Amino acid sequence: MFKLDKKTVIAFGIASVLGFGSNLMAKVEKNVDGSVIYPTKNGMYTLYHVNTKAENTKFNLGRKPTKNEIKAWKIEVFPDGEGLPEGKGSVEDGADLFDAKCAMCHGDMGMGGKGYPQLSGGEISSLKNQPKGPGDEAPTKTIGTYWPYASTLFWYIKSAMPFNHPMSLTNDQVYSLVAYLLSVNEIEIDGEELDDEYVLNKKKFLKIKMPNRNGFYPNVDGKNGVENMKKFLSNPKNYGTGSRCMHNCPRGKVVHIKYELNDFHPALSEKRDLPKEVGVKKVKTRIQKLYDETCKACHGNPAVGAPVVGDKKAWAERLKNGMDNLYKNGINGINGMPPKGGNPNLSDKDFKAIVDYMVNESK
Amino acid sequence: MKLTKDKEQHLSNKTNMPLNNSRRDFFKKGFALSASVVAASAIAASADDEAILKEPKWGSKLGWPTNKYPYGVPSPYEHNVVRRTTPLLSSGDYYAAVAMCPIQDIKGIIVPNGLFFNRSHGGTAIVDPNKYRLLIHGLVENPIVLTLDQIKRYPSETRIHFIECPANGSPEWRGPQFNSLQFLKGMMSCAEWTGVKLSTILKEVGIKPKAKWVIAEGSDDSHMARTLPVEKLLDDAMIVYAQNGEALRPDQGYPVRLLVPGWEGNLNVKWLRRLEFVDKPAHAKEETAKYTMLTPSGKAIQYFWPMEVNSVITSPCPDKPWTDLKKGEWVEIEGLAWSGQGTITHVDISFDGGRNWKEAKLKGLVLPKCWTRFSFMYKWNGKPILLSSRATDDSGNTQPTIDQEVKVMGVMPIYHRNAIVTWEVKSNGEVNNVQIR
Repeated sequence: MFKLDKKTVIAFGIASVLGFGSNLMAKVEKNVDGSVIYPTKNGMYTLYHVNTKAENTKFNLGRKPTKNEIKAWKIEVFPDGEGLPEGKGSVEDGADLFDAKCAMCHGDMGMGGKGYPQLSGGEISSLKNQPKGPGDEAPTKTIGTYWPYASTLFWYIKSAMPFNHPMSLTNDQVYSLVAYLLSVNEIEIDGEELDDEYVLNKKKFLKIKMPNRNGFYPNVDGKNGVENMKKFLSNPKNYGTGSRCMHNCPRGKVVHIKYELNDFHPALSEKRDLPKEVGVKKVKTRIQKLYDETCKACHGNPAVGAPVVGDKKAWAERLKNGMDNLYKNGINGINGMPPKGGNPNLSDKDFKAIVDYMVNESK
Repeated sequence: MKLTKDKEQHLSNKTNMPLNNSRRDFFKKGFALSASVVAASAIAASADDEAILKEPKWGSKLGWPTNKYPYGVPSPYEHNVVRRTTPLLSSGDYYAAVAMCPIQDIKGIIVPNGLFFNRSHGGTAIVDPNKYRLLIHGLVENPIVLTLDQIKRYPSETRIHFIECPANGSPEWRGPQFNSLQFLKGMMSCAEWTGVKLSTILKEVGIKPKAKWVIAEGSDDSHMARTLPVEKLLDDAMIVYAQNGEALRPDQGYPVRLLVPGWEGNLNVKWLRRLEFVDKPAHAKEETAKYTMLTPSGKAIQYFWPMEVNSVITSPCPDKPWTDLKKGEWVEIEGLAWSGQGTITHVDISFDGGRNWKEAKLKGLVLPKCWTRFSFMYKWNGKPILLSSRATDDSGNTQPTIDQEVKVMGVMPIYHRNAIVTWEVKSNGEVNNVQIR
């Protein structure tokens, strides 16, 4: 922000009394994000020419959507319960479902450690942590410590989980997963603990109060939500701003890189030379594509704990009991692995071909 | 050397090219220039160069036929100019991940479509344009469904805007970690977008007074949705289907994405299938678990839309050092400035890590919510310097120092880091990413 000193303010004041400089004094109208509003004037929008006639023409394009169409796509759930479907699910069913479809990425009881987000554990008080070094504890942002509304949890699971097969869960299954995730986060509903037998339904869902409900600002809910955002964003002091100091400005010390991150793919290079494999084109087979879609999220990621494709030792271990056994375990599911990798639409034949591919790539 | 008008005309006819002013000026000034050419004998003497004496391979045999690549490709020699990824920013896989733009190699303000940074939440959806539908519904007078062809029937507008992920530079809150411009600032790119202004469509749809917010949702498997204020949609938002003259790339939301100029990358919803007008914010997943900024009080800023004023020096940088620059040589210091809150008005450069500053020149087109080039001519004396840039925009905001930003935000917000970037240029010309704090 420019700082006006006393002299400038007085000079501007005189200028406006004399009738000029009124443009300088006019309060610049700001947009909802604190930015300048640019008008379209004389056929120009900033440096762009525009055909202003286009804006005053009626086009009547498109058609009315049907009720069924809107119902099919309107999947969001609001904090006040708008959009929440009827249904029910128990903590126990949620636990089984979680172990079968979620734990391979989010860890046992959602405790993380698999390279995907941690969903439970931690304390709200940790949100104040400002770690300086690698040994200091960072804030733990989980459903229980961080999320302000349970509606987001329902909507998220329903629309985007499981990661490699979203929109595959029934409403009852989503209810049970929400119940389970609330229980492992030790969240009570209406003073009641969520034990294994607890059955969550729409009525009970509306009574959920998340522990960190008041952990966010500015207040966007209610009638003044947009106005609150405008006020907040229009003052850059709310999020850190500088000044155009030109000489003898305050200055900190030089800090060099201590912990360098350079695991880059491909590795950095500014060389201008011919690539090593000109003309070699790798075309992925249908089976490789199926592997990418269904299996790679776990079998391509060492953090998950599944045998990674290419890991000779891990696969040799699993081949000890023969290919047939390997097929069987994969088709029925084993440990963290859901049946057919969570994709029931795969035929046995395709599934076996994928296993063959994975085994061959790991020899 | 002075040419008469007739002679100029003659020359012009002969070359079939009109003589412009600068060319005329050149002839006029020719005499004066020749004196300085003599004085400029500082240019090094040299031996015969094989690259000139020997006819190269490509000069003595046929090249590629014109139909070799129906869709062209860059020179094979440029194979290192690519997007790059790192497991740290990839959630354990490359589906919910980000590929960084090689901004150290980008010239001007337009990023080629194949190099545009790419962030997605469940992989790149390949949408069938024939089955593409856009639904506009909720608190509106006339809800509508539009096909791609119908969207293209509206009068088009073309604008140049950057898109930046708010996590750009996020691993650097506690200290410098990447010795590479590509990884420090590559979660952004700038392109020319074509589509229809939302205000044009919304005039026909008719927004009810109660509608203050909009849910914008993608059709990809993450069904990425965000809540936006109606005000922004009526100001400068667009529904875009083209990028740098061709259809959007799949990883930019083919066939249609929302464009909210200057705002957080993921508000520019890709594979856009739905705009629902509502009277309250939706608190979507990307407004809860991610894209919220934790501050030292333990409270978090939940919604934050514009990308703040920012800048970085692109030449030199750790990826493009001054190792071939000799003491006493002139060099152009060049960089990029941008602001989602307006138009760049000033960029200042410091050679001592921010103690003293000099104003740089802006270069080329200076447009709102767009990459803006700046330039500073510099004679390097071979001594180490701490090179920083600091941008200011027309909303009156200036880039903060690291201390100014951290004082308010702490070190855990992840998003919206726009503090001043400093390069340490060593006497051998090597460039390192450092922080002044």
